[in-house]
Amino acid sequence: MPAYKAPLREIRFILYELLKAETLSNTVPAYADATPDVIDAILEEAGKFCENELQPLNHSGDEEGCHFDNGAVTTPKGFKEAYAKFVEGGWPGLPCDPDYGGQGLPKLINFAVEEMICSANLSFGMYPGLSNGNYNAIHAHGDEAQKALYLPKLVTGEWSGTMCLTEPQCGTDLGLCKTRAEANADGSYNLFGTKIFISAGEHDLTENIIHLVLARLPDAPAGIRGISLFVCPKFLPTADGGVGARNKVACGSTEKKMGIKASSTCVINFDGAQAWLVGRPHKGMSAMFTMMNTARLAVGMQGLGIAEAAYQGAVTYAKDRLQMRSVAGAKFPEKPADPIIVHPDVRRMLLKMRALTEASRALSYWMGMELDIAAHHPDPERRAAADDLVALLTPVVKAFLTDHGFDAANLGVQVFGGHGYIREWGMEQLVRDARITQIYEGTNGIQALDLVGRKLGTGVGRLARRFFHPVSEYIETASEKPALQEFVLPTAKAFAKLQQATAWLAQAGMADPEEAGAAATDYLRLFALTALAYMWCRMAEIALDKQGGEEAAFYEAKLAAARFFMARLLPETNSLFTMLTAGKATLMALPAEAF
Amino acid sequence: MAIERAAVIGAGLMGSGIAAQIANAGVPVLLLDIVPKDGADRSAIAKGAIDKLLKADPAPLMSKSAAKLITPGNIEDDLDKLKDVDWIVEAVIEKLDVKQSLYRKLEPFRKKDSVVSSNTSTIPLQTLIKDEPESLQRDFVITHFFNPPRYMRLLEVLGGAKTRPEALAAVSDFGDRRLGKAIIAAKDTPGFVANRIGVFWMQAAVNAALDLGLTVEEADAIMGRPIGAPKTGIFGLLDLVGLDLQPHVDKSMREALKPDDAYQTVRRDFPLMETMIKEGYTGRKGKGGFYRLQRNGAEKVKESIDLKTGDYHVSDRARLESADAAKGGLKVLVTHKDKGGHYAWAVLSKLLRYAASLVPEISGDIANVDLAMRTGFNWKRGPFEMIDQLGAAWFAEKLAAEKLAVPPLLKLAAEKGGFYKTENGQLQYLGTDGAYHPLKRAEGVLLLADIKRASKPILKNGSASLWDIGDGVACLEFHSKMNAIDPDTLDLVKKSVAHVGKSMKALVVHNEGDNFSVGANIGLALFAANIAMWPMIEDLIGQGQATYKAVKFAPFPVIGAPSGMALGGGCEILLHCASVQAHAETYMGLVEVGVGLIPGWGGCKELLLRNQPGPKDPKGPMPPVAAAFETISLAKVAKSAAEAKELKLLRASDGITMNRDRLLFDAKARALQMLAEGYKPPEPKELRLPGPTGVTALHLAVDGFRLQGRALPHDVTVSAALADVLSGGATDFTTVVTEDQVQKLEKKAFMALLRTGPTLARMEHMLTTGKPLRN
Repeated sequence: MPAYKAPLREIRFILYELLKAETLSNTVPAYADATPDVIDAILEEAGKFCENELQPLNHSGDEEGCHFDNGAVTTPKGFKEAYAKFVEGGWPGLPCDPDYGGQGLPKLINFAVEEMICSANLSFGMYPGLSNGNYNAIHAHGDEAQKALYLPKLVTGEWSGTMCLTEPQCGTDLGLCKTRAEANADGSYNLFGTKIFISAGEHDLTENIIHLVLARLPDAPAGIRGISLFVCPKFLPTADGGVGARNKVACGSTEKKMGIKASSTCVINFDGAQAWLVGRPHKGMSAMFTMMNTARLAVGMQGLGIAEAAYQGAVTYAKDRLQMRSVAGAKFPEKPADPIIVHPDVRRMLLKMRALTEASRALSYWMGMELDIAAHHPDPERRAAADDLVALLTPVVKAFLTDHGFDAANLGVQVFGGHGYIREWGMEQLVRDARITQIYEGTNGIQALDLVGRKLGTGVGRLARRFFHPVSEYIETASEKPALQEFVLPTAKAFAKLQQATAWLAQAGMADPEEAGAAATDYLRLFALTALAYMWCRMAEIALDKQGGEEAAFYEAKLAAARFFMARLLPETNSLFTMLTAGKATLMALPAEAF
Repeated sequence: MAIERAAVIGAGLMGSGIAAQIANAGVPVLLLDIVPKDGADRSAIAKGAIDKLLKADPAPLMSKSAAKLITPGNIEDDLDKLKDVDWIVEAVIEKLDVKQSLYRKLEPFRKKDSVVSSNTSTIPLQTLIKDEPESLQRDFVITHFFNPPRYMRLLEVLGGAKTRPEALAAVSDFGDRRLGKAIIAAKDTPGFVANRIGVFWMQAAVNAALDLGLTVEEADAIMGRPIGAPKTGIFGLLDLVGLDLQPHVDKSMREALKPDDAYQTVRRDFPLMETMIKEGYTGRKGKGGFYRLQRNGAEKVKESIDLKTGDYHVSDRARLESADAAKGGLKVLVTHKDKGGHYAWAVLSKLLRYAASLVPEISGDIANVDLAMRTGFNWKRGPFEMIDQLGAAWFAEKLAAEKLAVPPLLKLAAEKGGFYKTENGQLQYLGTDGAYHPLKRAEGVLLLADIKRASKPILKNGSASLWDIGDGVACLEFHSKMNAIDPDTLDLVKKSVAHVGKSMKALVVHNEGDNFSVGANIGLALFAANIAMWPMIEDLIGQGQATYKAVKFAPFPVIGAPSGMALGGGCEILLHCASVQAHAETYMGLVEVGVGLIPGWGGCKELLLRNQPGPKDPKGPMPPVAAAFETISLAKVAKSAAEAKELKLLRASDGITMNRDRLLFDAKARALQMLAEGYKPPEPKELRLPGPTGVTALHLAVDGFRLQGRALPHDVTVSAALADVLSGGATDFTTVVTEDQVQKLEKKAFMALLRTGPTLARMEHMLTTGKPLRN
């Protein structure tokens, strides 16, 4: 079973050396308390909790799974206790509004915590993750009474939350939603319908579960413009914030699934369950979307967490496992065989995992920091710019990081060889757990469409500007520094390809939306790799300055990974460019019946 | 007989508007009204009307100076002035006795063979003059203008049984060539052509909306663009023309039309509108109408009336699938299953059937009717063109299926295959005799549409085409969206110059779009800027400069022939033409600062050249720089070709054509004339510019504006860049600056501005809202 060590040094490198996270506490009054010493202490504690409490439950939770019995769901052994400690530690309220009992810390810090939780135990992470999404939606769209009633309990973690969107006939296309709401005389509604795939829909961790449900009002227009959002608690809260009568909402069954088996995935039936409208009638989708953007970034963090866990497991194994001699002659003649880390192909796998994981961390944490700036920076223009950038890169982070999480988990299995395929070693679980992250919160295909269909066009490229301009300016100045050339020149090439591809998309996609659809996935990956190249340039620049000093090995390793990335990963952008600009013709030629 | 002097009697809205248009044509005009009951000035009414002309928006006058051609007076003291007048227009109140007593009063003073016309819209000609002396009957016609007379192109003209043909011809010709109107030969039938159909349409559209329970927003969302009418739709149009006019119009139509006329059944009393009129809700000129603007703090909120309750509510965008689906054609609209589709069918089935029953009663041919509706009501298509769009046979069958009588002319069209067809590149229309007749254009009218129907382009791409318009002259047509100039346009301009240079004699730049060109495609530029494709944009600026330079120095004359807006890059190409023949309704301007930029395709340079001092002007480096700076930095847009001359966007020698249909012919004639005079391209000029001292002077002016709050923060940045270009950069008055050097400065300043956030924000705002951002 792979051990997990929270990568605190790596995290601190991104936070302080790359992102200068301390500027948040200096420039954004809301985060005045988030000084480096406070952040470090939190990360340290979070690391310990993940290493000592969550990671040990990961394999057992997967083996045991959740139990369903007559509407009740029991989580695997140890989960309830771990969750209690999680609540006791105050972790659910970390990024939450102090007005409702939260600690008001930057989302950036929560991103780091989420990464560690997902490395240690993705299934466990689902429960607080969903609660946080639920909290965000009520915080943004609930009325004062709803906020006062639900938020404090969600912040403490005493109650948990869900997002009830999917129905049997309606997945990606939420316009097909059938669950209906009937008005009561007292202003509340009764919900009727069935939701499926509801994560944390029913469990034994909390005394109450707060469902957020998409449903239609009787006078709703057809399609996506007729969806409203409702809050529907499992137990009706009493006036003093206690738990009252049981509502008519019940878990019908739990799904048997490929991975995240310790996460309870439920069919939830609403049989006239009492609920209250959140936000305005028929505006449920926009309410959902404010929450969804944060949730999509959070899923990206799941991908990152899995990739980190897979890398750690693979490295340990590659150093221990003795097989064959190096093709260049024995490296450890005293041992019966060399450790497999001497073999070029094993290194290829390890470095691919590492180079993409480190840059992905840089990219996603950058978005975490921009989220904080977007929420609380005193300058409205800076807030707007940050909001644009996050909107643009959210689909990139979600899709690329989860694709990478799955790829890295697979590479991890490969490094382990046959043992990777054996459950006991824990590597195949990572593959199975990672797989869902590419699907939920909008499949990665949908992310790509979001990027090309919505984000690029917004404000005639205004969102794009928030990324393209800083990168372009960086390349212009950095290319004048000789030591940086080996990083900046390949990045400039990839960036030029990305610009051309973007211009191509703007023209071809405007004339024919199918062209945009055909190019979307390749374009997103081209975008992501270019963004990672930019991250690697900036990380290499820092490492170059620190060469030969303290922690020389740490920075040398950064440069080595950066070089590997530029030489052996970034060139993929060339083929992506060629593929996507080849157009839709070969995709659309075959008639459906010929498949 | 030529009309060299005119008089308008009645200085109301229509009378003064007609006088203004006559003055716009450069013709002196008397404007007479009655003597007011009190007050010292016996011509106060006409004088007041001229004051109003100078203030009205949209402006009835093409230039303030045109007001000088209007002489105010009154009908007691100034009738002797009529002795020099060739045409007298009567535009007094629609009362028979008032008109008739006026005619009698005029008769002794009239010049022999002068023409008298009435602008009546409701009184038949035979009623007006049946008791008048023979002398007047010979010289009498009706000239029915549409409001506002400067902007509405329709002029319905008709004579009586005894009217001299020369009188009718003189007024028609003057209306056509000098006033720029589309002349429709009408008959002495109620409402003539356009109102007969238009008033029916308005009744049908209101009543169908009431019957089908549509909101005013929904009705207007269908009765506007989707059917090819202006976007005001029906209720918005009523607000615009005034609700109080409607009962009068209805009454006169009801009384004048036969009892079995379809109008009698389509019209209905409209109690809500009557109440609104009583309460002062007469439309935009009153407290509001079907729509009104309510102040809510600083912002104005548009409200709409509920047709059932008469209460106002905040206007809502109509959500009708049919309105969007109408892009697929009129048939898609009228067969759409939603209530918008039902509404469109309910109105159009009545309207088009009615129109088909009126020929030959109101007009000898259908093309005349279509032209009247296009020019009098600003419809995109007249009723017979609409029927052809639906398919005459399909329409006739659908009427029959609904047990509605099919008018004989429609039956004929259904059998023959439509009201129009193209035979050998010639547009033909169906006559009442059942034969197709070629649509003849008047002498001096050359339409690109006709040329396009009959030939293939010499060159063509997605944004522009080159056509052979005969006699060795080519016409370069823009046809991108809003005729915005993009790389494809520039490419075709370049190729056209090369082609004409090799195998033709002259080039006219002209198109028949609503606007000549709204300027460079800034959407393309903004997107490219947002993704930091700087070299591409710089290349585009360079391409534009090189292309326009090629236009300017071409070895043959390039004539610009614009109509409508010619802004930014569209204005710049005209500045580079050897000569311009402009439609009077041309709106030119270098408006780049509105989107945080400066003219980059030679506009700065050309305006410096245009403003070089003439022999009588003060010398020194600053006057031309200051003049160009003022025009560009304030984004001045000329509201007419005449104003464009005042702003030096047109040369004094450039031509103006009043009638749009005659523009291409005139432009071609100008090209041929320049060739005949032995055309030589201009020599590049050398400029002496003030350099940094000029910049300092302009900065002072801008700082002043800023302090007065007349310049926005980003205006200061843009103005500074502009000042640097116009002052010639790092030069001084002793050094010579070439045209190319100024263009280099333009490019540099343009690129620098494009990299600023506020410029990008201005461009985005303009593209997404259509309005300038004030930042």
